[in-house]
Amino acid sequence: MKKDFYELTYILNPVLEDEKLSEIVSYINNLIEESNGETVEVDEWGVKKLAYEIDNKSTGYYVNLYFKAPAEAIELIERNLRIHDDVLRYLTLKYDPKMLRHYELRAKGELPSFFEEETEEKVEEED
Amino acid sequence: MINNPSHPKKGNLKSKDCKFSKAGIEYIDYKQTDILERFINDQGKMLPRRVTGTSAGHQRQLSKAVKRARYMALIPYVTENMR
Repeated sequence: MKKDFYELTYILNPVLEDEKLSEIVSYINNLIEESNGETVEVDEWGVKKLAYEIDNKSTGYYVNLYFKAPAEAIELIERNLRIHDDVLRYLTLKYDPKMLRHYELRAKGELPSFFEEETEEKVEEED
Repeated sequence: MINNPSHPKKGNLKSKDCKFSKAGIEYIDYKQTDILERFINDQGKMLPRRVTGTSAGHQRQLSKAVKRARYMALIPYVTENMR
């Protein structure tokens, strides 16, 4: 079966207890596994301040994960995220070759640095 | 933003080259808010290409990334002008 590479980020209600949070995270991961997908990387950013309030909450628990799954699985996962009361936001992205290269570079820690130029300039100014 | 010393509108822009092409960036990630914040003003609006010198293709990618980051509450849609 053809599987594509996806990225999913979602924001959970930060008011919940730690157990409940990890329960939801593993519930989502199970959902992917059950629909013939495989999770590649799960990165829990933890509680972060939101740039604006969502449902009167000023912080959110961010979870960022990468997975491979057949296209049909996405519908199921998104539906479950949509009806889940504790999920404030979710965003699924399908990766194209450009994004995949970006992901691989990031995984190797070889992302082209955007800020390099700036430090060089500073050195020049000091001279 | 207002406290960003390398903000293009602070007269720090030395070249009109596209910074993304220069750095060899292929995909602008909405999660890298430190990069995105250099291309929005203190109201949270995107800076025009004529100010930042970004290439057309990268500007399109950037706008997509900014919109995704706004949706995920990583950067604000609007900020009130402090004054």
